[in-house]
Amino acid sequence: MIPKQEVVAMLLAGGQGSRLGVLTQKLAKPAVPFGGKYRIIDFPLSNCVNSGIEAVGILTQYQPLILNEYIGNGQPWDLDGMHAGVNCLSPYQAVSGADWYSGTANAIYQNIDYIDRYNPDYVLILSGDHIYKMDYNKMLQFHKQHDADCTIAAIDVPKSEASRFGILNTNPDGSIYEFDEKPEHPKSTNASMGIYIFKWQKLRKYLIEDAKDPNSSNDFGKNVLPAMLDAGEKMFAYTFEGYWKDVGTIDSLWEANMDLLNPNVSLDLSNIYSRSPMMHPHYISDDAKIQNSLIADGCNISGDLEFSILFAGVKIGKGATINSSIIMPNAIIEDGAKVEFAIVAENAVIGRNAVVGANPEEVENKDNWGITVIGDNIKIGENVKVPPKSMIDKDMEGEE
Amino acid sequence: MRSNNVLGLIFSNSCQDSLPELTSHRTTASVPIGGKYRMIDFTLSNMTNTNINNVGIIAKSGFMSLMDHVGSGKAWDLSKKHSGITILPPYAGVNFANVIETLYQLRGYILDAKEEYVLLTQSNIIYNYVYNGMFDLHEHNNADITLLYKRMPVPEKLSNPSVLEADENNKVNKFLVKPEIKGECDLYLGTFLIKKDLLLSLVTKALSENELDINRLLQKWVEEYNVYSCRCHDYCAVISSTSEYFRFNMQLMDSKIRDELFNPQRPIFTKVRDDVPCKYGLTSHVTNSLVSQGCVIDGEVENCVLSKGVYVAKGAKVSNCIIMQDTKIGENCNLNYVIIDKDVDIKDNKSLMGTDSYPIYIAKQSVIN
Repeated sequence: MIPKQEVVAMLLAGGQGSRLGVLTQKLAKPAVPFGGKYRIIDFPLSNCVNSGIEAVGILTQYQPLILNEYIGNGQPWDLDGMHAGVNCLSPYQAVSGADWYSGTANAIYQNIDYIDRYNPDYVLILSGDHIYKMDYNKMLQFHKQHDADCTIAAIDVPKSEASRFGILNTNPDGSIYEFDEKPEHPKSTNASMGIYIFKWQKLRKYLIEDAKDPNSSNDFGKNVLPAMLDAGEKMFAYTFEGYWKDVGTIDSLWEANMDLLNPNVSLDLSNIYSRSPMMHPHYISDDAKIQNSLIADGCNISGDLEFSILFAGVKIGKGATINSSIIMPNAIIEDGAKVEFAIVAENAVIGRNAVVGANPEEVENKDNWGITVIGDNIKIGENVKVPPKSMIDKDMEGEE
Repeated sequence: MRSNNVLGLIFSNSCQDSLPELTSHRTTASVPIGGKYRMIDFTLSNMTNTNINNVGIIAKSGFMSLMDHVGSGKAWDLSKKHSGITILPPYAGVNFANVIETLYQLRGYILDAKEEYVLLTQSNIIYNYVYNGMFDLHEHNNADITLLYKRMPVPEKLSNPSVLEADENNKVNKFLVKPEIKGECDLYLGTFLIKKDLLLSLVTKALSENELDINRLLQKWVEEYNVYSCRCHDYCAVISSTSEYFRFNMQLMDSKIRDELFNPQRPIFTKVRDDVPCKYGLTSHVTNSLVSQGCVIDGEVENCVLSKGVYVAKGAKVSNCIIMQDTKIGENCNLNYVIIDKDVDIKDNKSLMGTDSYPIYIAKQSVIN
């Protein structure tokens, strides 16, 4: 028998993240590299460990290979305990048949047995596409103090952006009376962060009911939470203060990375754990010029760098200039190439004197400007110009 | 010979007397080197890349930092069900005065190991080498002992340098200790392969004859046994003095040496610390340097090796220095040819100057104000 865990965390990591385009062609969104040496999932996983949560189930479905390999036995996060730890939970075949996870709630429903084994009092539901540092334990204390059936973490967002989020309308005591999914005219700026704590027995009951309803889309936001609210369960909003960013789009992913270089943004990366590649310290040559950048191990730099983030094993040739860009592991930027406001994915090669992306100040029609993305393993030939806002998923041949 | 039939032994105090400052509170094995590594990482990684699964680290004294670094051996994939890393400290009433007595005291450990062969190695040799070729030669030559050597000049201040003379079949005829040699020679790397039973019987015999000098014994064994040599063709540095230590670190600026030593097919593993990527500020200016994760650089750095978590403040100028982990260098400091140990705090506006031939050393946890 497995010893009891007070809390089990379930991390929803099955989404395709289609808005990240080529970046998520071969890997799930939570596995997208972030911040020079991390993957997005390192944030919720490290938060769990730092909050004392020892049992974490990761619900995987879309392109799970890299994610599964990355998580491995959970050792980098100290989640390789004897009785608890991290488990990747893919959809499976059972006597009654086999089903994909049809929605966020269904993914948890299909893993009721996994949670039951720990006999937890509470279940923490997390998503794998947010960058933030949070002590879940404080939220749990709040949940217990209010004897809530469900607590939803909320963050104050600017009024102009409120209609992009699920908005929580609350009474003065913090209890929720209305759940407004992407409202046109938001009544408040209290946005749901997609982080929920439930009393497990309560959630279990609602998940089973939800699964019986053929009209349900088996989603927490659309079905389970409204059903609980309608039934008059005690639901509270827990206000979180601090850095939090949904990195579901190219723009927000780029911005969140750039936030790491902004001294006015309060996101520090200490106590975020990750699986590190074994590479030597990075080398900066005589020809390099580096300002306001983050650089990981194994890089070899001879070019100019400003406002950029380099992952492990990146090579920057002589005379190359990199500005406001994110260069993912083992990518190569050859001599004289120019990369501006771009994301270059793993193992991509930017040929000599090629130009990728552009500085918005140098583009006349701002509608034509955007972050340029080069997919993984893509080769951009010599002297090729890749215009701003483009997303490249095929090799581009250079001039002979 | 299958490499899982070889027990690896590493002497962690190799050449300790020649590195007095760096080893004043640690073993040679745990001296920080190459930015993020400790000396023993190279030999340990070589063993794991050779698929040697059972490794004993002989710890004579000052091995706290060694134990902290090695831990369970997980970082080198040497935390195994039936074997892995064992740290072998002296025990009640026993001291590890010399190689022969040490091996005699450890005979129980060596006998218990299921492996048939023993590979004895040192911790002050920095190389990326797999021992498989050596094992094959040993078998092919039907050797009793195979000695590893490197064709190189004798490094400065190496105590008792030993040089091999072998015939065209690599059979060693002469084992010369402290010979008068200028230029390159076949320098013995303190590393040899031998069958466990033979080793233990030689050790017992030597002890009974009160013959305790390993070099003297090797000279004798060369005459009495089938002793062969095996050449290491890969890059290899022997850290025999503080100035050799300095020279090796600076050699890492050479991309050829870096590529050879950090061959991605044979990675050099080390204990992982969850450092954030290195942060270069708006006022940073860094050239020709090797920089580890966790550093924050706002000043000027040239020809330096920076370990994890080093902070260089605005206006500071650091040249030709080796700086170990978590050291802080204050604003407008000026440092040239300095080896700075761990956790040193250099306050603002300080100047420290060594020279190329004599870099100065700042001890661990010093505060300079």
